Amino acid sequence: MSTQLRTTRRGLAVVAALALVLTACGLGGEPNELSVLEWSGYEQPDFWTDFASANPETEVSFEFGISDADILTQMEGNSTADIFHFYTGWQQFYVDEGLVQEIDTSKLTNWDKVPDSFKQLGQINGKQYYVPWDWGFTSIMYNPDEVPEVTSWDALFDEQYAGHISMWNDGPAAVTVSAYVHDYDETAITDEQLASIEQEWIAQKPLNKFYWSGEYVELCPNNGPLDPDIWIAYAWQGCYATTLAAGQPVAYADPVEGRNSWVGLYGISADSDSPELALEFLDAKLANLTCSNAMTLFYYGCVNQEVMDAVEDPILREAFALDDPSILERTNFTPLVTQEQRDAWTQMWSEVQAE
Amino acid sequence: MLGRRGALAYLAVPPYVWLVLLFLLPLLMMVAVSLQPASGRIDFTSGWPSTSQYQQIADTPVYLRQLGLSAAIALGVAISAVVLAFPLAYFLAFRARQRATVFLILLLLPFATSFLLRVMAWKLMLGHDGAINWLLTSVGLVDEPTTLLIYSRSAVIITLVYVWIPFAALPIYAALQRIDRSHLEAAADLGAGPWTRFFRVTVPLSLPGVLAALFMVFIPTVGEYVTPVLVGGPQGVMYGQLVQDFFTRAGNWPLGSALAVVMLATTVALVALASRLIDVRRLA
Repeated sequence: MSTQLRTTRRGLAVVAALALVLTACGLGGEPNELSVLEWSGYEQPDFWTDFASANPETEVSFEFGISDADILTQMEGNSTADIFHFYTGWQQFYVDEGLVQEIDTSKLTNWDKVPDSFKQLGQINGKQYYVPWDWGFTSIMYNPDEVPEVTSWDALFDEQYAGHISMWNDGPAAVTVSAYVHDYDETAITDEQLASIEQEWIAQKPLNKFYWSGEYVELCPNNGPLDPDIWIAYAWQGCYATTLAAGQPVAYADPVEGRNSWVGLYGISADSDSPELALEFLDAKLANLTCSNAMTLFYYGCVNQEVMDAVEDPILREAFALDDPSILERTNFTPLVTQEQRDAWTQMWSEVQAE
Repeated sequence: MLGRRGALAYLAVPPYVWLVLLFLLPLLMMVAVSLQPASGRIDFTSGWPSTSQYQQIADTPVYLRQLGLSAAIALGVAISAVVLAFPLAYFLAFRARQRATVFLILLLLPFATSFLLRVMAWKLMLGHDGAINWLLTSVGLVDEPTTLLIYSRSAVIITLVYVWIPFAALPIYAALQRIDRSHLEAAADLGAGPWTRFFRVTVPLSLPGVLAALFMVFIPTVGEYVTPVLVGGPQGVMYGQLVQDFFTRAGNWPLGSALAVVMLATTVALVALASRLIDVRRLA
C-alpha cells in the first residue's frame, strides 16, 4: 500500500470520526429552535427580551393568529408551535382536546412573583396547564367633555350619543355586556335571553360610528388618542392610557356592574419537541424586564406583582387603577364557557352584523 | 411521434393540474366541510354528509338578505365602474394615439400597490382628518370635519368603484381596439353624426368588453371583505365579512364554508342568468 493511499485513508477516518462526534453532539445537545403561536405585535423583541438575553443561540420563530378561535383552530390543525398564547375563556378547550401539557411550576424561577388569583386562571381540574402573563381591564372609555359621568355599561345603548359610540366587534363581548346590564348569569344564558340580547344589539347597531376590531387600529389609531368622533367606547385600558398620554380629555368608567378583566395565558403544546426550552421561555416572560416592557412600552398589565408594585408612571397607575386596592374585587374575570355557547354567541353577533 | 394535437394536449396538462390542485380541490374540500353535521370540530367519521349547515342558513333569513344586499352593491359598483371606465378606455383606444402606451401604464399604475393599501388610502381620504374634510373646511363648506364620509355603505361603494375602474377599463379598451375603423367610416359616409356613430356602432361593438368588465367587477365584489371592514362601519357590512368572521373569529368552518358555497352558487347562477339573457355568444 502506498504512503499516499495510507495518508488518504487516515484522513478519511479522522473526518468520519469528527462527523460522528459532531452528530452525537448535535443529537444530544440542547434544541435551539422554538416556535410561538402569537398575536401580531407580541413578536417584538421587547416582549421576550429576558429569554433572548439568556439564550442568544436560540432561534425563536413566530406564527400568528388573529383571534382566540383562530389560534385554537391552528392548534387543532397543523400548527407546529411549541407555545401558544390565548385569552381567558378558552382554557378548557385545549385541555379537553389534549392539545396542551401540564406545566411543572417548580421549574419556573419567577413563579412566586405571580399572585394566586392569576395562577388559578391557568388551572384546569386542579392542574396548572397555563402560565398567565398579560392582563388588563375592559370598561367604558368616554370623553368627559361630551358625556357626563358613566356609571353603567348601559351607556353603550344611550341613543343621545348616536354616531359617537364604538363597540368591539365581538359576539361574546356583546353577550358579556348585556349580561352585566341585565344581571344575567353569563355562563348560563338561555335561548330566550340570547334572542333578547340579539334584538338589543340590533337596535344598538345604528348608534355606532364603527365597530372596532383592533384597539390600536380603529379606536386609538397608531397607539394614539381615542378617535375624536368617538365619545363612548367599549375599550381596554391600553387605549385609555394612550389617550391619557396624549393629554386628551378621557375617563375610564368604574361601572356599578363592575369592570371586566381579561388575562392572556401561555400553554405548551402537547406535541412540543422542546418542552424544557418552552418552559424556560415562559419563565423568562415572567421576568422583571420583560414584564416591565409590556407595561411601560405597550400599556399592558403583567402578572409579575413586583413589576406592578414598582410602577411610578401616573398614567400607568391610573390605567391599571393601582391606587384602588379593591378594584380587582369589583372586577369580573372572563368565565369559562362551552364551545356550544361560544358558537351560539358568535352566530348571534353575525346575525346582528348582517341585519 | 406526437402529432400537433397530441403536443398541444401535453402543453395543456400543467395548467389543468394547477387548476385541479389549487382551485378545484380546495373548492371540493370547502364543499365537504360545509356538509359537516355540527359546527364544532371537523369530523368526517360520523354524521357526514349532512345538510344541517345549509338548513341553518335557510332558517336565518338575515344571511340571505345580506347576500342579496351584497349582490346589489356589487351590481351598483360594477355598473358605476364600467360607466366611469368607458371614457378612459375610449380615450386610450381612439384619442391617445402614440401616447396610448404611456396612458395605459398610468392607468395600470395603481396595480403597483396592493389592494389593501389602495383601500387604506381612501380611509385616509374620507377620515375625520382626511383630505376631503380638509378641503371642505378649507373652502368653508363645513365648519368642522364631517363624520358622514366614512363608515357607511356609500364609503364602501365609492372606494370599490375607485379600486375597480382601471380593472374595468382593460377589457373595454381591448374591445374598442378590435373595432374595425372602416365600420365607423362607413357610418360617417352614410351620414351618421359623431353621437350616432358612437351609440349605433362603437357602443354595440364594444359590448363584449363592457360585459366582460361588468362580470370581472361584479363577481369578486359580491364576496368583498377588506373594503367594508376598513371603511364600511356597522351600516356597510357585506356578506364576505360574515364568511370571514365564521372562519377566523368564530372558528366555525362548517357554517363559514356553507355560507361561501351559497355565495358561490348564487354568483354563478346570476352570471349564468345574465349571460343567457344577454346572449354573450351573439355579441362576441
